[in-house]
Amino acid sequence: MRRLVQGNEAVFRGAIAAGASYYAGYPISPSTEILNVASGWAAEHPEFGFLQAEDEIASANAVIGASLAGAKAFTATSGPGFSLMQEAIGYAQKVGVPSVFVDVQRVGPATGMPTMPGQGDIAQVRYGSSGDYTPIAFYPNSVPEAFNLAVAAFNAAEESRSPVILLSDTFVAHLNEVVDLDELEAAVTVAPRDLAPLASDGAADPRFFAGVLMYEHGPNAGEPATADADEYLRQFYAAKHRHQEVADRYPLYEHGWNTDASTLIIGYGIVSRVAAPLAPDYALFRPIRIHPMLTDELRAIADRYETIVALEANDGQYADMAELALRREVKRVPLLGGRISLEAVNAGLARVLGDGPDEPPIPPAPAERADRAPLGIG
Amino acid sequence: MPEAAFAELDFKSKLKMDLFPTIWCPGCGIGTIMIELAMVLDELGLDQANTVIVTGIGCTGRMGSYMKYDAVYTLHGRTLPVAEAIKTVRPELNVIVVAGDGDTASIGGNHLIHAIRRNARVTVLCNNNEIYGLTGGQTGPTTPSGTKTLSSPGGNPNTPINLQGIVRSSPHALYARTTVYHQPQMRTAIREAIQHDGFAFVDITSQCIENNGRRIGFANANEMLTFYRKTYKRAPKGADRLGPFELGILYPEDHADRTNGQADGSSQTDGDASAGEAPAAGAAAAVAVPTTEAPVPARSSVSDDEKARKRAESQKKLALMQRLDPEVKLQVAKGEITLADALRAAGIDPAELEA
Repeated sequence: MRRLVQGNEAVFRGAIAAGASYYAGYPISPSTEILNVASGWAAEHPEFGFLQAEDEIASANAVIGASLAGAKAFTATSGPGFSLMQEAIGYAQKVGVPSVFVDVQRVGPATGMPTMPGQGDIAQVRYGSSGDYTPIAFYPNSVPEAFNLAVAAFNAAEESRSPVILLSDTFVAHLNEVVDLDELEAAVTVAPRDLAPLASDGAADPRFFAGVLMYEHGPNAGEPATADADEYLRQFYAAKHRHQEVADRYPLYEHGWNTDASTLIIGYGIVSRVAAPLAPDYALFRPIRIHPMLTDELRAIADRYETIVALEANDGQYADMAELALRREVKRVPLLGGRISLEAVNAGLARVLGDGPDEPPIPPAPAERADRAPLGIG
Repeated sequence: MPEAAFAELDFKSKLKMDLFPTIWCPGCGIGTIMIELAMVLDELGLDQANTVIVTGIGCTGRMGSYMKYDAVYTLHGRTLPVAEAIKTVRPELNVIVVAGDGDTASIGGNHLIHAIRRNARVTVLCNNNEIYGLTGGQTGPTTPSGTKTLSSPGGNPNTPINLQGIVRSSPHALYARTTVYHQPQMRTAIREAIQHDGFAFVDITSQCIENNGRRIGFANANEMLTFYRKTYKRAPKGADRLGPFELGILYPEDHADRTNGQADGSSQTDGDASAGEAPAAGAAAAVAVPTTEAPVPARSSVSDDEKARKRAESQKKLALMQRLDPEVKLQVAKGEITLADALRAAGIDPAELEA
């Protein structure tokens, strides 16, 4: 049945279609609708595990426990909560826990501008936890894509045995579009669980899921390996290669608009929708898989354009990645403070294409008190 | 005579003996807790197909690696969200949390109060040694006021956290206090906690001789255990809260099968403050030590006589073991040679085992 579906709801329904049977979360705008929908779903489906946790640290660790127990599990949050989850995400990376973390971005750092849209967590997703790891992350720009990428996130999590991040933003989360969920569900393929659940085999050797480096196989199995660089290399590269190999199965991006133009715009999430009126004059590269970087794909496309401009609601986080991947200049139009508008995009493009600075002109602070727009709108 | 091996004690089937000796310092209390837990698991028939261990980090957390159960060695402080989720997804499993006092009550304190609020059906064994041991001996949440530690050289200025009060804030939660010295009582507390259908917390006072005990004036672990023996007494019959240095099990108000009042004591506790009145029906009750006559649910096929015989047998073996070289003892403990062979090699007649 075709009906209006909200972006957050589509994420939840995609998760269900992918086989999710556990959700833990803590209320935080603009992700809260996922918690609400999950609680309603749990009330109607007793087999669905639901926890409104005391904080995002608990949510993230509950997802880990649920997953190890055999459930496909996920949580959703926004920037501040996502920061609190970072240690658990590192643990899930280290231990190899299939899990999905949804980050509905708003303007940060800290409490920031609740809940104006932002895209400031691109680097946090990549580097937020301690140590080295290889996260997989997707970012939709529409309601049906939110559904499909939720499925992809769960499948990639199972295949890579890692925590996969599904990014969103205030606008994608609260976008309502007409979607036929039944049709989307019918097209879903679901990756099976590979990791045997806890206490599922009384005859197997007992397992020890540890955040600390342990020998997992061989003559020293069960002993700590906390001073053995060789063992670290074995485990680190096994995970890195596995994650990259799985990511390669999801080379998701969009290359479109006017591909005969001389300037390529890089934009993702809601920014790619806001900038759509530029279609006649610019080409678009929209990465859908944000991490690992689509290096080969972007290189092949970027060669065709004289100029590259990254439009993003942060201070150039993806531009940094693209510049490193391409070894050439990527101009930046930072859309900061929640001001993601066509006017801001046009002004920014005019500035950087005229060899002006990245920074927009900063108006002086007003000398007199002025009436402000209502919270959450202005 | 049958060949007697030290390694035949039943609970050892729950432990990865091949990884012994453990990393714990000589004199540490954690090993005792592990053995008592293994004994209870063995007695209750809990094995790796129906039980999961979730541990905190640090010294106590390592217990999971020595037990023959699937175990999750969580991040510091995060045992309870992990454990609660496992129980939600797999309600048929017994989920046992083992963590230190810092893990449980400091960095994991928020999870503790909310797991209690939600009555998470998990069992928590808190190795309460009143110190951050692995990091060298810093003040923890349960460190007594005035105790000198590496991080409070002038004495801990703060009041220790009231674990009993926190756990008892829920009408559904079971709270027990025991020590590493009072092993039968600890075993009872662990058994009752595991069998409790609701949140259960066993607060186990335990010694960290290396990074706390010596600094506060104990010469060795034995002195600390002696201190526990002399200081801790079981709670008065029917008590609804445990005073300082009182041992007992506080059942929740809504505990269905529990009659109030205290069972007969055991010889483990030196003192017996038996004053106190049985509270009204429905109120909480302290049961310090179980009686052998107490109605025990049909959970063990081993009779008390049989247990007593086994106990005497193992004590005899232990006494003989003391006469062996430490290296030989280790070989026997690992099952590499039998005790009888080791005794023969040491010139001791194995027939003494029968004596």
